[in-house]
Amino acid sequence: MATIRTRSRTREMLLRLSAYLAILVALILTLFPVYWIAANSFKFDIDIFAVPPEWVPRNPTLKHYDEAFVQRPFLRYALNSFLVAIGTTVISVTFGTMAGYALARFSYPWQWRKQISFWILSTRMMPPIVSIIPLYLFFNYFDMLNTKSALIIAYTAFNLPFATWMMKSYFQDLPVELEEAAIVDGDTRWGAFVHVALPLARPGLAATAIFCLIISWNEFLLSLVITLTEQSQTLPIGIAGRVTQYSTYWGEISAAGFMACVPIVIFAFLVQKHLVRGLSLGAVKG
Amino acid sequence: MLQTGKSASVRRGGPLEQWTERHLRYLMLAPTVLILLALTIFPSVYMFYAAVHRISPNPDLPWEFVGAGNFARLISDPQFHVALRNTVVFTIVAVTLEFLLGLGLALLLDRFIRRLSFLKTVLMIPMMLPPIAVAITWKLIYEPQFGVLNEIMFLLGLPVQAWAGDVNLAMFSIIVADVWQWTPFIFLLMLAGLASLPVEPYEAAALDGASSWRQFWDLTLPFLKPVIAIALLLRVMDALRLFDLVFILTGGGPADRTKVLSLYIYQVAYRFADPGYAAAMSLFVLFVTIVLSTWFMKRMRLAE
Repeated sequence: MATIRTRSRTREMLLRLSAYLAILVALILTLFPVYWIAANSFKFDIDIFAVPPEWVPRNPTLKHYDEAFVQRPFLRYALNSFLVAIGTTVISVTFGTMAGYALARFSYPWQWRKQISFWILSTRMMPPIVSIIPLYLFFNYFDMLNTKSALIIAYTAFNLPFATWMMKSYFQDLPVELEEAAIVDGDTRWGAFVHVALPLARPGLAATAIFCLIISWNEFLLSLVITLTEQSQTLPIGIAGRVTQYSTYWGEISAAGFMACVPIVIFAFLVQKHLVRGLSLGAVKG
Repeated sequence: MLQTGKSASVRRGGPLEQWTERHLRYLMLAPTVLILLALTIFPSVYMFYAAVHRISPNPDLPWEFVGAGNFARLISDPQFHVALRNTVVFTIVAVTLEFLLGLGLALLLDRFIRRLSFLKTVLMIPMMLPPIAVAITWKLIYEPQFGVLNEIMFLLGLPVQAWAGDVNLAMFSIIVADVWQWTPFIFLLMLAGLASLPVEPYEAAALDGASSWRQFWDLTLPFLKPVIAIALLLRVMDALRLFDLVFILTGGGPADRTKVLSLYIYQVAYRFADPGYAAAMSLFVLFVTIVLSTWFMKRMRLAE
């Protein structure tokens, strides 16, 4: 922002101080819940229930990790989550990149470019609760309930429009002249896309793929409806399944919940430069 | 390399290559359009079909045509009205709080942390986390007996509460967890908006002796308007589909105080096994979403 020359120095000082204070408070509020779930995952049950709470685990243990990932099928859930996320991402990024490129570069008759772009965006806006009933009946009819393929198909419905818009936004930022030069040099239109545009869009491709992985990894409602078996359920469903009406397995879900967060935090740092664009569907370029 | 013009490159290759090259604009778009058509048109049409039938939980019984009956129930069903009201209250309160906090923080920090991208990324962590992990984390914090929030209340000399289990505090508890997760989103978008503001108008305003308050109202807010519109609408769309937090923290209770539309539709469809009525409610949600997103897309066009 432009320099706002305030009349007094004291005011500037106060502003700076309150800014630092705000950062500090925001950091504590942001990190404490994450720390708390991690801390509790390393406590024995008796210490989780301690009053007053143990701020730092006194007897750290990996008991709950053993319970969740060795004795109970959380490793299986994590693997399912991972496979579904990979499948969804590969499909969405492959087709989304081609569509994004087409919408960024080609012209179409009858304003199709605009119409199709907005139609694709509107499919992204569809709340998942709207599609769960038809998807459930559809997968039931084709005997696909409790399969990872069903989840991949369902997740593609909202990841593909996302990937299309993201890649469209990245391709629009690339200079078209390089592709024109390649075509003048004898490359085909498709060749210019593969040999020139794609390599230049690599950072955008990586960011889009990571976003698709995160979105799929985090998804809950569709998986809750479509999968009921251990062989197909994802990590969020596994965690929710240990929160029952009668008892909550705090240690186990803390361990599994914390492990569900770890890859996401790593991913967040990998895409930090692309966060703004990713979260606004390419509308705001950060 | 020999001189090869555009016409030469088109003439290369067999007829298949030439055909591909000529129709490339359609071929590259086709898979996405076809997949999305299959995944959205089918559910929409099916929903209309389901919404005008009474569907028995017994799969052997035929669907009974009830016309607009399911839609009439929307008007007379008090549970639906409760869910609708809860959704509206949650959306307005949560998004307003997130907006004010996010914008305030962004304005305050814009001048001091521009270069600390690591810090920014740390502040971004909540919104990337799986909502289910966020939900169990807050469930642990709110736990009435051994939760850390009641310990803090106790240390401050305040009365301990049941939080998510309290009739009057349940919605508040859901909102706090949502604000924790999504304020960073507004904050991040506002920071991006602030970073792209032009410098000159501010210099002119400072020369004219405009107060920083005036500068905020007359320059910053109007410049930020497109980003604010996008941020608010994305948040509103998300708030309307709230499910995970409620599912884990309260299950819609106590006394239906946190029963939101998504949860009610889910319950009607699966627990009460009435997909026809659930489909009618889903169509209502879809209608609201279409109205809002059309408005959103008009704003996007402005921003482009």
